[in-house]
Amino acid sequence: MTQSQSPPVVLVVEDEPDIADSYELWLTGEYEIHRAETGEKALSKLDDLAVDVVLLDRMLPGISGDEVLHEIRSQGHSCRVAMVSAVQPEIDVVEMGFDDYVTKPPDKVELRETVEQLLVRSTLDEELQEYYSLVARRSALESESSDEELAKKAEYRTLVERIEAHRESMDASIPDLTSDTDFIGAVREIDNQYTTGDENDDPSQGN
Amino acid sequence: MYDIGDIIPNEAISSIQPGTNLLVRGPPMIGKHDLALELLAKGFDDGDGILCVTTNDSATALIDSLSQREVSLDRDQMGIVSCSGQEPSQTPDSVDTEFVSSPSDLTGISIGTVKVMKYFSNRNISSVRHGVLSVSTLQQYLDARSVFKFLHVYTSRVRDTDGLGVFTLHSSTQNEEVVNTLSSEFDGIIELREVDDDAREIRLTGIPTASRSWCTY
Repeated sequence: MTQSQSPPVVLVVEDEPDIADSYELWLTGEYEIHRAETGEKALSKLDDLAVDVVLLDRMLPGISGDEVLHEIRSQGHSCRVAMVSAVQPEIDVVEMGFDDYVTKPPDKVELRETVEQLLVRSTLDEELQEYYSLVARRSALESESSDEELAKKAEYRTLVERIEAHRESMDASIPDLTSDTDFIGAVREIDNQYTTGDENDDPSQGN
Repeated sequence: MYDIGDIIPNEAISSIQPGTNLLVRGPPMIGKHDLALELLAKGFDDGDGILCVTTNDSATALIDSLSQREVSLDRDQMGIVSCSGQEPSQTPDSVDTEFVSSPSDLTGISIGTVKVMKYFSNRNISSVRHGVLSVSTLQQYLDARSVFKFLHVYTSRVRDTDGLGVFTLHSSTQNEEVVNTLSSEFDGIIELREVDDDAREIRLTGIPTASRSWCTY
């Protein structure tokens, strides 16, 4: 989840220093950037830092990018992972659990767009959370009042307008879900099994 | 367009726009599951893909009940994402089946549906009818908020890929608020209700040309 005060945290996992240098240069300014040369170091950084996006090289010395990704998912880290590889992904990779796939070497625009899109997606859960609370509140009002009473209630009218506005802004931030990785990534974003780290239960939203 | 014939009686509607999500809701045991299966099975004749996410029935039971409805059932047109947890060790005969350990594994379900859709597209099937049977079981494993969020993403996926979504949900007076909240994610609502002994009524709301009135079912 992104904090408005501090810049989003990006972890670059790349064994070739020149390549890591260019990523850092392209992303510098807007993000807090950390680097790891091996999968082992990447995993220990993930334990210590609240990482938003991981740029993960697939070919690493020691444990491979695929194994790092597997570990990230099984340990339940809530970061988004873009796999960076010179090899085009095979057909059956949807299960691997990455959120995006970038062909190496990426250019500046491509890399920045990838990170930006993953950060937009990271707001999805929060937005849906807010949307759910509004719709749930509307249902509560509807169940306790008649249609005539509702029409007179200012709170209800405001709520209906807010729901409409929220829905529009949310649809704008959800990517086109024709893409398989975007669809799975969006579900992973809302899946409690992956978001146990940032539970924000609000008892006032009960039903 | 997705042909639904005269499955919903007394309605001028015999086909549904691509990208539409329908919710079949009503009290337990009134026939929501059967109605949903009919809406899905109707697609076999038109060459549609039928993708079922099943939370209650085993894949084998689901194939059996679809076979009873459709003589021309082509197994290449079917795919199942089974999260009922009650499965034999082997996959059902020649139907693409993906297994998910539990209905609470939403990511696993989404991956399963993507794999089935790839299987369809390899067979040049582009129109897909999605069945999620049932939302009520998801509710037993997840809180209402998580179910709502999942439905939002899944219905968006159906809309963006020009599919037809058919979902089932139990409704009762105790959970009216939750049912209304979840219903807001759908384009059309098909309601079933009991009037007298053994008499049922149906109505369709939300779809522009729907009559919105109850009729005997």
